[in-house]
Amino acid sequence: MDIYICIGSSCHLKGSRSVIEKMEERIRREHLEDRVNIRGSFCMGNCTDGVCVRVGEKTVTGVNAENFDEKFETEILGELRDE
Amino acid sequence: MNGLTAEVGYVSLIKKGEELCGDRVETVRFEDSTTLVLADGLGSGVKANILSTLTSKIIATMMASGMPVEECVRTVTRTLPICKVRKVAYSTFTVMQVNHQDEMTLLQFDNPSVILLRGGVSIHYPQEELVIDGKKVIKSVVKVKPNDIFLTMSDGALYAGVGKMYNYGWQRDNIIDYLEARYEPDLSAKMACTIIAEECDRLYDHAPGDDTTVAAIRIRPRQTVSLMIGPPEHPEDDQKAVEELLDGGGKTIVCGGTTSNLVARVLDKPLIPTIEYFDPEIPPTAKIQGIDLVTEGVITIGHVLKLAKGYLENEDLSTAWAGKKDGASRIAQLLFEEATDIRFIVGRAINPAHQNPDLPISIVIKMGLIDELAEILRKMGKQVTVSYY
Repeated sequence: MDIYICIGSSCHLKGSRSVIEKMEERIRREHLEDRVNIRGSFCMGNCTDGVCVRVGEKTVTGVNAENFDEKFETEILGELRDE
Repeated sequence: MNGLTAEVGYVSLIKKGEELCGDRVETVRFEDSTTLVLADGLGSGVKANILSTLTSKIIATMMASGMPVEECVRTVTRTLPICKVRKVAYSTFTVMQVNHQDEMTLLQFDNPSVILLRGGVSIHYPQEELVIDGKKVIKSVVKVKPNDIFLTMSDGALYAGVGKMYNYGWQRDNIIDYLEARYEPDLSAKMACTIIAEECDRLYDHAPGDDTTVAAIRIRPRQTVSLMIGPPEHPEDDQKAVEELLDGGGKTIVCGGTTSNLVARVLDKPLIPTIEYFDPEIPPTAKIQGIDLVTEGVITIGHVLKLAKGYLENEDLSTAWAGKKDGASRIAQLLFEEATDIRFIVGRAINPAHQNPDLPISIVIKMGLIDELAEILRKMGKQVTVSYY
């Protein structure tokens, strides 16, 4: 399964890099690294609501370093487990 | 010049304790000729700077407009202010002028002799002595070949290391050996100068005892680089813009998320972004088969502009971007070093998401960045065209 994290201009300025770092760390902690690939995305078209993360069909917006864990648990983790 | 062009580069080190350089490089480019003058004014500081500025400006302007050399030298001699201490008006000079008949004319007055590297090896060239107003000027005419490097320097280069690393400074022969050992076929004019200047700086123990300038002209084949940034204002122009990007016949760069998606769609190839940050400030690059480099847009280009300004005002030696892998450094390598001809393909669509007061991105800023970058690249001697969609 792939998780896409937007690294376009707006999302970059809103902290894509730290979201990628948090994601890598969290995926390791959940022991999901064999099942999940973290990939970059060049603009998902939701620039005003960055940082954008797409997991499966679902787009999660407004992710940042501060709310990462909450967003991960409520909106992302479920998608990964469903599979 | 039959598919060839003249690439110009120079680097100056300023004598320790001075704010102005007494050496001066002036270049004048026309469609059919490129003229470079290096002048070294007597003494150092303000006085030397005035002498060398006058000398290089007068000679470059007159030579470029086709005046005979005798006339140029006479004008300089009669115009320069006379130094109160030394009772002479004096500035050495070297003129390098290459024309579209593939001919390099060298005129040398009292600077260290021009080094001609052909295929990475220093070769001799014919020299004829002229006496103009009592001054001995050495004239040479050389038929140029691709990748020839003509390198001139002020005598500060030869004094580097006197009494420190070397007893008598390093001589022209040492400089030739040093350069030959580091020669690579794609060595740019600017890099050749940087290699010598850096070594001079080291020999001077980073406190130059004299103004030191190295300037070079490299004869090179033309190389086109086409860069597309921004989606066209009208989506029906997408195809046309991408076609223009590809028909340049050289290398291709695509900048911007939306733009990359568009190019990938038109080419029917996947867009594969990476998440590798070589520099935390610069967003990662991506790949599209058939495109040489794919990067994020405004932030990356903004950084390229910063690098371009540093490179142009270059009297410093920092060319750190030459070896780096982030998107901005890679664009810099392609545009500053590889390209002789640059084509910008600029889309004017407004990204609604960027019209957000929280974000320092707007269409106005993007257009301004490209205009400014194009201007600086022209000053570097590149042929630049910009087309808008």
